[in-house]
Order: sequence, then C-alpha cells, then structure tokens
Amino acid sequence: MNEAVILAAEGANPLVPNWWEILVTVLGFAVLLFIVTKFVVPAFEKTYEERSLAIEGGIAKAEAAQAEANAALEEYKKQLVDARTEANRIREEARAEGAQILAELKEKAASESARITEQAHVQIEAERTAAVASLRNEVGTLATELAGKVVGESLADDERSARVVDRFLADLDSQQSAGASN
Amino acid sequence: MEISGNLNAIGYGLSAIGGGIGVGLVFAAFINGVARQPEAQRVLQPLAFMGLAFTEALAILGLVFAFVWN
Amino acid sequence: MIPLALPAATNESEGFIAPTIDDLHLPEILPWGAHYGEGFGKQMLLVLLSVALISWFLVAASRRRQMVPGKFQFLGEYSYNFVRNSVGKDLIGEKDFRPFVPVLVSLFFFILVNNLFGSIPFLQLPTTSHVGTAYALAGFVYIMWIVLGIRTHGIGYFKVAVVPSGVPKAFIVPVVIIEIVSTFLVRPLTHSLRLFATMLAGHMIIALAASGSAFLLTQTSGAMPVLGVLTMAGGVGMYLFEIFIQVLQAYVFVLLTAVYIQGSISEAH
Repeated sequence: MNEAVILAAEGANPLVPNWWEILVTVLGFAVLLFIVTKFVVPAFEKTYEERSLAIEGGIAKAEAAQAEANAALEEYKKQLVDARTEANRIREEARAEGAQILAELKEKAASESARITEQAHVQIEAERTAAVASLRNEVGTLATELAGKVVGESLADDERSARVVDRFLADLDSQQSAGASN
Repeated sequence: MEISGNLNAIGYGLSAIGGGIGVGLVFAAFINGVARQPEAQRVLQPLAFMGLAFTEALAILGLVFAFVWN
Repeated sequence: MIPLALPAATNESEGFIAPTIDDLHLPEILPWGAHYGEGFGKQMLLVLLSVALISWFLVAASRRRQMVPGKFQFLGEYSYNFVRNSVGKDLIGEKDFRPFVPVLVSLFFFILVNNLFGSIPFLQLPTTSHVGTAYALAGFVYIMWIVLGIRTHGIGYFKVAVVPSGVPKAFIVPVVIIEIVSTFLVRPLTHSLRLFATMLAGHMIIALAASGSAFLLTQTSGAMPVLGVLTMAGGVGMYLFEIFIQVLQAYVFVLLTAVYIQGSISEAH
C-alpha cells in the first residue's frame, strides 16, 4: 500500500479532476436542486407568507386599536376642553349678570331713596307752608282778639290789625334768628 | 539536518503575501465604511466581496501554478 | 484519528512521513480496493449521502408548517431565511431575487454539508476537497450567470460585461483584455479553487497534526512526547477552526454566486 501511495503521489495533480466525481456531483446537485425547487422552497415561502400575513394582520389590528384609542382620547380631550370653556362662559355670564343685578339694585335703591327724600322734602315743605299759613291765621286772630280785649279798642280796622300782626311776626322772626345765632 | 520538499511551496507562500495584504486592506476599508455609515452596509458588502474575489485570485493563481509547474 | 488516511508513520527506519494530498485519494469502493480514479469511491458516496441528508432535512423541516415552529423546523427556517434574505434579497435585490432562491439554498446546503463531512468522525473527508466537485459547482454557476446575462442583454451582454463605461479611449484595449481575463477566466477558476483549496489545506493541516502527534507520542522517547501533546492540542484547535472555515466557505461561495448573478441581471455594468 505504501508503494501505491507513493506511486500515486508522483502521478497525481490535485487540480486534475476525476471525471466521475464531476458527474456524480452534477447529478447529485441536480437532484437536490429539483427537490428544493419543487418542494422545499414553495413550502417555506408559503409558511413565510402565512406568517407575515398573520403578523401584518396582527399589526394592522393593533394599529386600528391604537388609532381608535387615540381618537377616543382626542374626543375626551375635546369634550373636556369644551366643558371647561362652557363652565368658564357660564361663570363669566353669572358674574356679569350678578354685577348687572347689583348695579340695577343699587340704582333702584338710589332712585328710590332719592324719590323718598324728594317726597319727604315736598311733604315737609307743604306741611310747613300749611303750618305757617294756619299759624299766621290763628296767631293773627288770637293776637288781635287778645289785643282787642286788652286794649279795649276795636281793632276792627283790618288794615291796621294786619300791619300790627306783621310787625309782631317780624319781631318774632328777628328774635328767633338772633337766638339761633347765639 | 536535511530539508526536502518542493520549491513551489515557497513560491506559493510568496504569492499569498500579496493576497493576504490585499484582503486585509479590502476588509479594513469595508469595516471602516460600515462603522462610519452603518446604513451603507448593503451597498458596500457586494463591493467588498467582489474586491475579496479579485484580490484572492492572485493567491489562488499562485496555488494553481505551484501545482501546474511541477 | 484518521485511520485510513494516514501513511505508514509506523515505519521506524524511514522516520516521520508527512501525509500527502494523495492520502485524500483513497482506494475505490467499487471495485473494492482499486486505484483511485478507476471506480466508485468514498467521495462519490459522500456526495450522494449529502444529497439524501439535505433533501430529508429540508423536506422534513418544511413539510409540517406551523405558525410557531419547533426546534427542528426553526433550524430549517432559520438557515433558509438566512440564505434567502441576507444573501439573496440583500445582494440580488428585492425585485429580482425570488427565482434564484432555490439555487442559492441548494448550493449553500450542498456545500455546507459536504464541507462539514470533513469534521464528522469516520466520514472525515470534505468532498469539496476533491477538485471535481468544486469544478462542477463553480461550472454550474459560471454557465448560469452567462446564460442569465445573455437572456437579459442579448448577445450584447459580452460587450456590457467586458467594456466598462467611462474609460478613456487610449486605455480601452488593455482594460478590455484585463476584463475578459478576470471575468471569464479567473472568476470561475477562483470561485472553484477557493473552495477546493481551503478545504484541502484545512484537512491536510488536521491530518498533519494528527499523524505528527501519533508519531511523536508512540515512536519517540525522552521529551518528544511532550511535543506530541502540544501538536495534539494544536490539532484540536485547528479542528474547531476548520469547522468555522467550512461554514464560512459555504457562505462565501453562495455570496459570490449571488454577486455574479446580480452583475449579470442588472441593467448597467
């Protein structure tokens, strides 16, 4: 065997192919290629496709759910904002209304009080006038009678008596104003 | 001590020096490029292997001639 | 570790004989014990075994389709999607990659399993370390991308492929010559030999470490067996590294296939 090995070593060049090996390799590879093309690749591709479809379907579903959730969130936010503006508006309105009512009330009260004051003034004035008029009449009559009685002299002369009463009242007035100034 | 053998082996060894350096340069450049721009890998990879094939051809030709010219 | 592939390291008078490439070329199975190259051998058996294994695995992983995959289905789907998306979709382009998924998947699994045969005990022969397999696969890819190019561009594809745009007229002749050589000669050559050479070299390194360790541990005396332990440890490290290389080379082969296809079907060069 040793001799055979050495003999072969002298003759063989590793770059020279053994044609039978080429033939066997080509045939074997052709069979393999046929099997792979016919059975293996379609099966793997189908699995691949199904799986990617399943994954893509799952992803699409998840995306839809996400979009839905986002939309709902947007909706809630919008509603919240709306509610807040609404509340603000109502509060503003209420405040304005309250202010208005207050102002109205104030005005009404002021005018009422003014009216009452006015009325009171007028009444007082009227009563004073009436009092003055009645007083003047009564005091005049009383004084004239009294004076007539005292003097015994008829003071029937109206012109004279009126002058006397006027003078008396003027004296009374000046005495009063002097007392007030004191 | 007697050393026996074939001078072709030394010839092949010499031819492999160039190929070795060349392959090293090709892949050094490739790694540099990918490190700087990782998204360019898909473009650079075929080029790198084309460069590898061209460069290594020299060493392989050396091997062939080492066997052919016995 | 590699019982059949080791040369007679036991021959004390000759000292240590390193394993050679021809230790990968075992005597044939049919007819039994014939010289390599004269019949049906271990390599061809492994190729057929790999076809059966991959077919069984892929069909079983893809047949029972469930929304939530089990471990088995997950492994199949993961590797399938890796080739489909990060090789096919990224390199060929989202628009055109679908017709090429079967080719890329078949190539990836075929090369991956055939490479890994080199690291499975008792099988221990990366079938792609026999150059015929590498030639066949790269030749298939070569024919495929030329046909695709002609189908996309018509017969003008050869002009598209070898005359780059934007080259001054003075340089056009050398550039075209370089392009012809690099595209139509060097490309398939390197495509096949990259796979073949890495598998061969990785396997040879492990074979060397194993036979060296065996020689040092059993045939020497004094301090030498300690070296044998070291070479054994190095061999184990290389074994693990080799698994990584085997996966990587399958990936690179498929990746370059996708790049070549993309170059053929894309509009501009």
